[in-house]
Amino acid sequence: MSLQINLDQPPFSFLAEKELAWLKSRLDLVFFPAGEVILEVGQESPGIYILYKGVVEETDDDDQVFTQYGTEDMFDVRAVLESSCKHRFTAIEETLCYLLKAKDFIQLLNSSDDFSVYFRTDLGTQQSLVEQRGGEVSEFILAQVDGDTMRTPVYVTGQTTLVRTARMMRDEKHDALLVRDGERRGIVTGSDLLHAVLNDSLPKETRVAEVACFDLITVEEGEYLFNALLKMTQHQIERVVVTRNKEIVGVLELMDMLSTFSTHSHIVAMRIEQARSIEDLVIAAGRLESLIANLSGQGVKVMAIMSLITTLNRRLIRKAFELLVPDKLNSQVCLLVLGSEGRGEQILKTDQDNAIIIRDDHVKDALMPSLQKLHQVLLDFGYPRCPGGVMFINDAWIHTAGEWRARVGKWLNNSSPEAMMNMAILMDAEPIAGNSELFEEIRGAWHHESLRSSIAASWFARPALQFETPLTLLGNIREDHGAIDIKKGGIFPLVHGVRALAFEHGLYETNTFDRIDRLAEQEVLSKEVAQGLKDSLVLFLRIRLRHQLEKAEKNPGLTQQLKVSDLRSVDRSLLRHGLHRVKKFKQWLVSHYHLENL
Amino acid sequence: MRLPLWLKRRLPGYRPPPERWAHMEEPYTGDDVVVVDCETSEFDKKKGQLLSLAAVVVSGRSIELSSALDLTVRSDAVTHPDAVRIHYLRKEDRKHGVATADAVQQFLDFVGNRPICGFYIEYDRAILNRYIRDLYGFELPNRFIEVSELYVRQKRRYIPEVNLDLTFEGLARDLDVPVIDRHTALGDVVSTALMFIKLQKGSS
Repeated sequence: MSLQINLDQPPFSFLAEKELAWLKSRLDLVFFPAGEVILEVGQESPGIYILYKGVVEETDDDDQVFTQYGTEDMFDVRAVLESSCKHRFTAIEETLCYLLKAKDFIQLLNSSDDFSVYFRTDLGTQQSLVEQRGGEVSEFILAQVDGDTMRTPVYVTGQTTLVRTARMMRDEKHDALLVRDGERRGIVTGSDLLHAVLNDSLPKETRVAEVACFDLITVEEGEYLFNALLKMTQHQIERVVVTRNKEIVGVLELMDMLSTFSTHSHIVAMRIEQARSIEDLVIAAGRLESLIANLSGQGVKVMAIMSLITTLNRRLIRKAFELLVPDKLNSQVCLLVLGSEGRGEQILKTDQDNAIIIRDDHVKDALMPSLQKLHQVLLDFGYPRCPGGVMFINDAWIHTAGEWRARVGKWLNNSSPEAMMNMAILMDAEPIAGNSELFEEIRGAWHHESLRSSIAASWFARPALQFETPLTLLGNIREDHGAIDIKKGGIFPLVHGVRALAFEHGLYETNTFDRIDRLAEQEVLSKEVAQGLKDSLVLFLRIRLRHQLEKAEKNPGLTQQLKVSDLRSVDRSLLRHGLHRVKKFKQWLVSHYHLENL
Repeated sequence: MRLPLWLKRRLPGYRPPPERWAHMEEPYTGDDVVVVDCETSEFDKKKGQLLSLAAVVVSGRSIELSSALDLTVRSDAVTHPDAVRIHYLRKEDRKHGVATADAVQQFLDFVGNRPICGFYIEYDRAILNRYIRDLYGFELPNRFIEVSELYVRQKRRYIPEVNLDLTFEGLARDLDVPVIDRHTALGDVVSTALMFIKLQKGSS
């Protein structure tokens, strides 16, 4: 019979058709009246329950609600694998569950690798399994540089004449040849030859070694194609040399990649790089959003999108800065991006968070006209005005280096929530244009040994606890507010908690993932916790991005509200795990910073 | 009213089941029931040909789907067009089924002496008895439970004069039971089983 249950989602979608059919034939149906305990603490579970209808609540010994389960959710895998139940499961509405007997479940685990990996691993792996299923098109970008993607190199010796080189290019149908000149290895391209002969009027008999470029840009075999693409973008080149343990093994051509790579990220990057006017930049900026939607739609991992978009955004702003601020002022100022942009975690444009540092002996009046223009351009790019006024056009966020240092000192002594907030904002700063040495000067102001375990660090951490983790809202119960604020509930406490630790330990990193890695290295966080936090943050960002993109189609504007019922059940269960992690982390922060009496 | 076995055996025309199913006459002591549903070629106790047959054990609150009996009968009976519209079993669909005798045997082995429960079970009982009588010369000795009767009894206890919607859908709606694959034998069996469980709970 066809059971009316949706099993096309992970983890069941990892099963082959035959296994799935078998699974369906093994299901029993169990009914529980409202209020009935389904599984008691310590009880052995008869199997895995998959909710068909109704709501089940998971509580611990002290009757604290952990989470709720709704249609298509399942519980409790741990009780089956560990043969005893840690929590109590109660039907809080009339509930109908399919029951997969424990022995049948174990048999499925043994017969399917993906299926068992899903259950036996941590959140991160579960997630990447889910993401993998999201789309197959992306495989190209996530593919690695290997024999399939690169061309075998064709060599000429440095003694070869330009004429012969040109002929070889035509015969071999290669637009670039590698040049072997003694110990040196270089590359020569068709356009190199063109410039040599036509622009520099070199005779055709010139040795190719004289025009070749010996400063090779390389990628190591096995790197992501995506990274190779970023390198090409950065250096404005169209091919990179592939190495294996420093030995050249091939050439990776942009054209080869582009023919498969349909998302145009490179084209956007090129447009930014080649822009000659602000108008050109505005057009390029307009393309970023569709690029993101495109990448996300193709199932590209959110981390990869984030790093690509961060690179592109910064280039965009830097380019605008270069176009608007006269060269002679360039070394006098430093443009900082703050907030999520500074941490490199912004995907869709939120708001302008930025600041300016001016060299001590300089006055800001000379700068203001160009900065006003820059601000306007950023608006045109699609960065809305910051509602909190954290923008360099406001007096509070444009100072000389000396003034900045004084301000930071004042904030740290003051400990008011406002001062701490400002500190938090500045801590995520990343210099992206102008003279970055100016930033180095002021950064020292909050990298004191004395700040560790000081009262300031503890005040700094406080806001992380400000919002309740919205765990119990999951499930389908409270339809009237079946939405959670993913930023307040998940992202902010995590990011801010990590920021507080970074502050305490004087880390230079601004990216949350980098900070977590560093904190794990310094053994502030255990490896497990660190991994859990990173997985959770990726998850939040991924779910939020998808949600925001979907919302944007109907009504633009960035929402932080996730409608729980819109989520796939698998995301709902991952989200639950993620929020669990955040809750634990908050508890850890409380004891770490002695915030019990809040 | 169920007659005691000794009395039943003395009735004129009583025919005992053959050896293979002799245990079906023994009184049942457990708590399980078997929910049964048949689909036939036309809605007629005398002429309706058995097309499919489903049975599932209900044990407490659990419907043991994984061991359910779900048989399509190989038969060349001409299906009444109206009936096809109800159960969607065309002649073509029945080519791959089991022989009628085979289905009846499997059913008898499955049920044993457990009580049989269904929605409008009189009809299924009549159809099954007709086949069993023709093939093996006896009738189902099991206790029968009518779900709609349980329902009426429960409702009337509180409001004696209530007007009840006694259709399958009516019961399903009132008892808040999902109708799963309506008019497939197994689908109806599952819904009926859920009605039974809910009515049990209510009457205890």
